[in-house]
Order: sequence, then C-alpha cells, then structure tokens
Amino acid sequence: MADEILKIKDLVIQYVSDGEVTEAVNGIDLELKEGQTLGLVGETGAGKTTTALSVLNLVPKPQGRVVSGEVFLDGENVLEKSEREMEAIRGNKVSMIFQDPMSSLNPVMTVGEQIAEVVRIHDNVDEKTAMARAREMLETVGIPGERAGEYPHQFSGGMKQRVLIAIALACSPKLLLADEPTTALDVTIQAQVLELMRGLKKKFNMAMVMITHDFGIVAEVCDEVSVMYAGRIVEHGNLQDIFDNKRHPYTEGLFNSLPDINNRKSSLKPIKGLMPDPTNLPSGCPFHPRCDYVCEKCSKEMPPKTWINDTHYVRCWLYENTTESRLTEGE
Amino acid sequence: MADVLLEVKNLKKYFKTPRGLLHAVDDVSFTLERGKTLGVVGESGCGKSTTGRTILRLEEPTSGEIWFEGENITHADKHKMRKLRQDMQLIFQDPFSSLDPRQTISEAIEEPLKLSGTIKNHDERFMRVLELMKTVGLAERLVNTYPHELDGGRRQRIGIARALAMNPKFIVCDEPVSALDVSIQAQILNLMKEVQKEMNLTYMFITHDLSVVNHFSDDIAVMYLGRLIEKAPSEKLFEKPMHPYTQALLSAIPIPSLHNRKERIIIKGEITSPIDPKPVCRFANRCPYTEKICTEKEPPLVELEPGHFVACHMCQGNCSKPAPTMEEAEAHAAAEAHAGAAEA
Repeated sequence: MADEILKIKDLVIQYVSDGEVTEAVNGIDLELKEGQTLGLVGETGAGKTTTALSVLNLVPKPQGRVVSGEVFLDGENVLEKSEREMEAIRGNKVSMIFQDPMSSLNPVMTVGEQIAEVVRIHDNVDEKTAMARAREMLETVGIPGERAGEYPHQFSGGMKQRVLIAIALACSPKLLLADEPTTALDVTIQAQVLELMRGLKKKFNMAMVMITHDFGIVAEVCDEVSVMYAGRIVEHGNLQDIFDNKRHPYTEGLFNSLPDINNRKSSLKPIKGLMPDPTNLPSGCPFHPRCDYVCEKCSKEMPPKTWINDTHYVRCWLYENTTESRLTEGE
Repeated sequence: MADVLLEVKNLKKYFKTPRGLLHAVDDVSFTLERGKTLGVVGESGCGKSTTGRTILRLEEPTSGEIWFEGENITHADKHKMRKLRQDMQLIFQDPFSSLDPRQTISEAIEEPLKLSGTIKNHDERFMRVLELMKTVGLAERLVNTYPHELDGGRRQRIGIARALAMNPKFIVCDEPVSALDVSIQAQILNLMKEVQKEMNLTYMFITHDLSVVNHFSDDIAVMYLGRLIEKAPSEKLFEKPMHPYTQALLSAIPIPSLHNRKERIIIKGEITSPIDPKPVCRFANRCPYTEKICTEKEPPLVELEPGHFVACHMCQGNCSKPAPTMEEAEAHAAAEAHAGAAEA
C-alpha cells in the first residue's frame, strides 16, 4: 500500500562478540502509515534502538548482523541497498534523533553549518541557499536564526536537542526515528520539546517512531504503541488498547511499577526478577520466569499473536482461546 | 514537640568561578523530623545535590547553620565529623560509577564496617555483611561477584547496603533510582521504604522525578536556582501548588493515562545563570505573571498556610492580581495556547 511508510517483516538481528550471540531482535513485525506516530516502549536491552537502526541500515557491523527479515521504507527494502544508495536516503527520507544531545553535535562546526550540510548533500543547492535554509530551520524549532553562527557549547541541552531536530527535519523526511529524545532533558524543557515535536509532526505530515520507556510521553504524542520485551513485540495496539485494555502481563507490570501521581498512598507493584540475559534467553515466552500467570506451556513455546480486535494483538498463552471474547468485544 | 533530627538554617554555598560567585545554594532553611522523608525537587543546576552534600559537610558551607540531633555541626572538626558520618550516609545516583570495580560485593559492603572499626572480628564482620545483603535482597551466592557482573538494580542494592552498614539515622539519597529501568526502580523504592520503616530512618530524597517524589516523601521542597521557593506536605503541594514554577513543574509531568488530560502549562525560556544573581525573584524572567515588584525585590520564604511555605510576591499578595490556583493557571495556559494557534 502506498501510504505505508514503514513496514518491517519478521526482522531478526543478532550481535556476535567473543563467540557469544546476543539475540537483540527476534522476529519483529511493524507497520506505520504516513503521518502516524508509533511508540516503541520497553526497558534497557529490549531491542528498541537496534530496531530503529535497522531502518537506517546502520546496525553496527561486523558484530551486528541482520539474520532474516525485511525492512521496507516507502516501499523499498533498505536492507538490500548499497551504502551509496543508503547515503541518499538517510537524512532525506528518514532521519533519526538520538538521546544525548550533548554528544550528537560536532563541537567544531557552527550549528548553522551542521544543518546546512544536510541540505547541501541532499538537495544539491549552493552554500548560500543551504545556509538560508539552515537559519529558517532554526527559526522553525524556536531558535533565533542569527544564532546559526554559534557553536554547540554555546547552547543549553534543550537548545541542542532543538538543533538536532532542525538537522533531522531539514530535508522534510517522511519518517523520523526519535530515540528517547527527551530523556536527558529537565521536565519543563521536555514539555517544550515534546510540544515542538508534536507541532512539527503535524506541519510536515511526518510519520514518527518514538522510542521511549515513559508511558507518559506515549500518551502525549503517539497514536499506536508496541511494547517490546527481549527483542519481541509482546503487545501492540492503539492508545486505548494499551492504556485502558492492556492484556499482556508485562505491559500490566510496567504500568503497576509507575507511581500514581493522583494517589500517593498506592503501593508500587514491581515486576519480580530482572531483564533476561540476551545471550541466554529463556525458552518459550521470554517473560515466563518473571510472569505471575505462568503455566506449563509458557516455557516451551513462544506464543503466537492473538488478535483482541482489529488493532490490538498480544503474544501470550493466556489469550490462546479468546476468539469468542474477541468477537463479542469487537461488536 | 516534634522530634527534629535535622535543622538547616540559612544555608549558603557559593562557589568561586572565573566569572563570579556561583550561588549554588542560597539561603535555604528547613527542618526534618525523625523517621520522615523530605523530597527535594528541581531541575538540573538548581542546587539540590549541593544542598545534600553541604548538609553532610562534603562541601563546606559558605554560611548558615546545620543542626543534627540538637547539635550544631556546621563547624564540627574532622574527628567529630568522622563519628557523625556513621549516622549520616549518602546513596549515589549512578550505581555504575559509585562502586570500586576491583572490590567484590562483600568487600564493598565490608569496607565501612572495617574502616570505622565497629566490628573488629573478621568472622563477625562477614556475618554482618551477609545480614546486610539479606536486608537489601542480594542473594548470598553473589558474595564474591564484582560490580561489572551485576545489573544496575543489584548495584544500587550494594550502594544501599553500604549506606545501611553503620546503622545510620539519616540518609541523603541523591537520585537513587534515576539510572534504573521502571520495573527495577519500583523494586528499589519499595526496598528503601521497607528499611526506612524497620530502622526508623530519616531520608532526604533528591530527585527530578515528581511522580516518584510524591509517592515517596512526606514533605516536598522545590528549589529553583539555589533557592527554596516552595515547601509543603506532599499532598498539599500536589493538591494546591502555589508558586507559578511549582505549578508549571507539576503540569509538565507526562501522565501515563488517557483520561483527565489537562492543558500543559509550558513556561518559556530556560534557567538563567546562577552566577552573581541579582536580588530579584529568580523566576521572574520566565514567569507568566511577572510584575514590577518581582524584578525589584527578592521574595522571602513565608509560611502562608500551616506547613506551606512559598517564596513568591504574587502568592504573598504583593501584586496587583491574586495568585492563580492550579486550575486557573491551566486555564490561562489553555487560553494562551488557543490564542497562539489562532495566530498561526
């Protein structure tokens, strides 16, 4: 379909080092339509960032390798592209913003030059036009254009993140990958940056993948959510499905671990145990050693997708025979 | 009379920098009762960590007084402080850099016991280490592992065990869960609450995460650019925040729910420099309600309702308009956002 900007099919990515195989991504399917925002939620080591890097064909080599699967960006499989072809795509059709604005900018180049560089490479324009466009982009993200001649160290953390957003959006990409873009920022600055991103997304009609561990941010900016655990999407749905109708025990556990701001007496119910070792994942469902509802089957076989309704699926044996309830709920 | 464990009076800590005096902590006063938790919140650079470190005398205060268990410890000498530090401990933010990579778990936990000489017998000391490991939920089989073999949650448990080793009365917890994943964060918070109850500990809990602080603290102090701008019992602060900065801060928390969504109060600009600040309200340049008085005089911290202290001219009735409630402030923000959208 034409309006499908990103489609990932059965993606498997591994990292090999010292003879150990780290199973980072273990069979992921994703679809994202134009203008939509998908939240990729999960804890450290869930495979969120690796998934995003695969879209740019930037999984670190040689230790990382895509074992199987396809990643279609605007209808084209990026995993089959040459490095040269990818260079034309990155920063143009798809851009990425990273978590740490402090280390993502070049300290010896002015911010204006760093934005203009992208424009010059992709749009084949002269220096002057590129610089004018850079100033315009700075204004778009709320920084006065005359600051284009300043260096990164002259900007605060929030401002640097704005500069990175300006670089990412300079060529009006169709897809923006945002990897924890506000984690390093203070709350009031985070609010400013999220507001800005929401506005720009609308303005450029861009699709976005928002990688985060914060369901608060998901509620704010996303349309759909995929909850990841140990390299798999264990539950996927739209906001209503995930926030008000969550099914997977891990999703439930994540929500129960969050302090309720409106009820300070509520106790936290943490998920027991720890994230599994990705070089030695548990058999069957990777969550089963930490799950309160574990049954015999869980340690033997990975549960398939069970569709709760048209938008909502869960990978958990608890819902194996829920076809009836799914039908009644669908009505 | 309440059992006051810690009292801080007009505490100041200035740092000399080439560009002038950096006012990291500027005239901060509060009292903390035994067994309670004071949450200190604020954004990076507001002086919350320096306040904690100065109270522990890890930084020498520029002026002001620190009273611990009815004793003025502001100028206690090295010898005295060494003893006092058994009662006052610190848990660090980053469990990755706060542990010696060459020490095993048992060595790390044993170190304070050894240095202080509280338990001289080696076997007894080892028994105490195992006891502490049990308290913080570390399996005995981990006793000879090194920090790099452990995940963040377990490392933070070591940090807590080290802090508990001396049976302290007071612990400064400096962002103890910020570096941890949510599921692990909840485990550590629950653990800290349990040991607090068991040992009747008093916490000063420093964080930038407001939902965590609300859950964890009895009182909350909000800091901005070195100054304490609002302090109240947690429920009160969340129900009825008065200072415009506190209102914006609370409003900026992303709520993980689709219901009762409110308009965000988004304050403009960023924190100004803490170097040689002018004697005016430090929030004035970002505040949506600034009036003339705010840029002329520094507002003092005044108890406006029992237990609720605020440093704001408007809240104290010195401005032309009364201070807005949280609801009014949100409505104000919504109206502005609407006007902005119409303009665009």
